[in-house]
Amino acid sequence: MQVGLEHYLVVSFLLFALGLLGVVMRRNLLVIYMSLELMLNAANLAPVPGRS
Amino acid sequence: MEAINNLLGGSMVPDVLFYVFAALTLLCGVLVVANPFSRSPVTSAMFLVLTIISMAGLFVLLRAFFLAAVQIIVYAGAVIVLFLFVIMLLDLKEEQRRKIKMFGFVGGLVSVGAIVVISLKALGTTNPGANLTAPQLEGGTNALGQLLFKQYVLPFEVVSVLLLVAMVGVILLSKKDLK
Repeated sequence: MQVGLEHYLVVSFLLFALGLLGVVMRRNLLVIYMSLELMLNAANLAPVPGRS
Repeated sequence: MEAINNLLGGSMVPDVLFYVFAALTLLCGVLVVANPFSRSPVTSAMFLVLTIISMAGLFVLLRAFFLAAVQIIVYAGAVIVLFLFVIMLLDLKEEQRRKIKMFGFVGGLVSVGAIVVISLKALGTTNPGANLTAPQLEGGTNALGQLLFKQYVLPFEVVSVLLLVAMVGVILLSKKDLK
């Protein structure tokens, strides 16, 4: 199956969910901030495959 | 650049590379959030570096070369160094003893799983790539600079003023006795 837009969007969703899980689950402020960075990265990944 | 384009031009190689980089990204993301072997924030930061680098690989596969370079320079360079400085300055001894609460783990897993199911269902029912047009700009810096300084010059300047305000505010707030 050809890798397309949907594949990248699925990766972005899963990464966003991982970051959200970290924000909910971890108690350390620094790790919560790292999970927020993970969510930001996932949001960065989502619009890029629509361009090419 | 030519070599990368030749490599990406084949049919089979980019797909395999996509799966490799996506698996690496998600695996390292899991190890950032819930590492079963170490609770230390330093290991989380290191796996965050790995996540970011493999995501830069995904950007290269999408031919967004500038974005990949910025990803590595800004995140793997600046943000991680900032994290490590904060970790070194704070005392994080009590973090190793702290356990993850079972209730928080299960509740978070259930709610996040529900969000994942909902978004994947939404992706399955809609067809997001249906009315995409041909790409307007390539991933290089030339087209991006043209766009940034001609069409979107006002938002760009507003963001730069916002960053300047944030910097001045941090200096003002962190100074103990302001004469």
